[in-house]
Amino acid sequence: MSPQQQAPFAATCPDCEVTSDATEANEIVDFYRRHHRHTGHDVVVARADIAFDVPATDDVLAIVDALDARYEDGVPVGIVVAAASEQGVTVGETLDAIREVRLTGALAEPRDDHLTAV
Amino acid sequence: MTRWNNGLDEVERVSPDITDETNALPARYFTDPDVHEMEKDAVFGQYWVYAGHANCIPDSGDYFTRTIGDREIIVLRNHDGEVQAFYNVCAHRGSAIVEETPMTDPGNARRIQCPYHLWTYDLDGDLASTPRSFEEAPLNPDLEDEDVPELDAEENSLMEVHSDRIGPFVFVNFADDPMPLAEQAGRLETELESLPLEEYQLARRIVSEVECNWKVFGGNYSECDHCQANHQDWVENLELLESELEVDDYHWVLHYKHKEDVDDEMRIHDEHEAQFHYFWPNFAVNMYGTADGYGTYIIDPIDEGRFQLVADYYFRESELTEEEEQFVRTSRQLQEEDFELVERQQRGLQSGAIAQAQLGPNEHTVHRLHLLAQEAYETYDA
Repeated sequence: MSPQQQAPFAATCPDCEVTSDATEANEIVDFYRRHHRHTGHDVVVARADIAFDVPATDDVLAIVDALDARYEDGVPVGIVVAAASEQGVTVGETLDAIREVRLTGALAEPRDDHLTAV
Repeated sequence: MTRWNNGLDEVERVSPDITDETNALPARYFTDPDVHEMEKDAVFGQYWVYAGHANCIPDSGDYFTRTIGDREIIVLRNHDGEVQAFYNVCAHRGSAIVEETPMTDPGNARRIQCPYHLWTYDLDGDLASTPRSFEEAPLNPDLEDEDVPELDAEENSLMEVHSDRIGPFVFVNFADDPMPLAEQAGRLETELESLPLEEYQLARRIVSEVECNWKVFGGNYSECDHCQANHQDWVENLELLESELEVDDYHWVLHYKHKEDVDDEMRIHDEHEAQFHYFWPNFAVNMYGTADGYGTYIIDPIDEGRFQLVADYYFRESELTEEEEQFVRTSRQLQEEDFELVERQQRGLQSGAIAQAQLGPNEHTVHRLHLLAQEAYETYDA
């Protein structure tokens, strides 16, 4: 990617006021984890250039259910995070919600950081 | 001399003396994923590495976690008030014990308990208790309860990591038999311990991700030849030509003179200057000339082409005044100016055009950084 091109995804820490650009949606999640490890801060999605419409809900199960057919091996967690952010939900809050639903058995992780509805 | 990638793939060692030749560390050491993996042991597994600030864990049972390379540790204050470091790994079956806990938001525990099978450790790391299922064997037909061996508290303790301090700065070392911290720190220890560092509180942490190798940023931090062209606001009040660069075995100091003396009360140290200390491999202490406080940098690798800059600011009070807020903003501006420079350098290094760069005659601090890296690699390979 040349420096002139804008990365499709970006996340920002409102406390530190730092932003990280990301080529893939899951890089937002990686950034959150690294940043949270050092600061305890949550981060928000600042930009998500997704090529299709995402469901207008912050219900992570509904988001995965709606997008499942688009992905052979699970919906990237970063896409779920980006979709939920449209409803004002932070990255950390979405990851917590995903964990809660996974523990009910309604979501599975066919590969790392990819989700499918059970 | 500069060595371009002209098909010969010829590089040489970092020059032993910068007054002789000026070979930089070959470019591949800034771009190769294998080098990044190797450095986890060769560099971050062998030298004293900054773990955090003791002021953030003032009471017994206070702790934070820190990840260095692939190693996750717990840094805690024990019942005797001493700071110790342990691998965040349970002696039972190797589970990570506590959740990630940043220094900015430390935890507190009377004991350290693994959530998996509830093995519980005292604050000195010794195994304090296990559930009854580890004392009796009702589910095992081949074993009578009285034959179940008692677990020795020390033999089943948490694995301690060597730790030591310079003032409130806590350092850890993962080597089996490391050189003393005092030996690695050299004059840095006496210089820092002469200052009342403990009297200052962590007031702000800013973490940035930068797209360059950690050594590229370390090199940029270590010289100010680039400052006139790239930090014009900052150097306005400095006498750059009167600056001094002081090099020790494992650390170097950049002394910057201010054009006009500023109020003595505006700084922690006595000299009418700013001091920037770099401590191999990835820690820096910033003594500002225009603020009653100091800062630290952790230059934390993510991979071969990215690192996190963890910038901590310490002031008399943890609540920032408006002037201190402005100071942090100015510091942040300097960081962002540097980020542009180092990301540009990384792009050049990754282009494959250059096999080995060269250093300028006033870049003896950068030379020291490159030489230490090379020595670490050679020691590891030997």
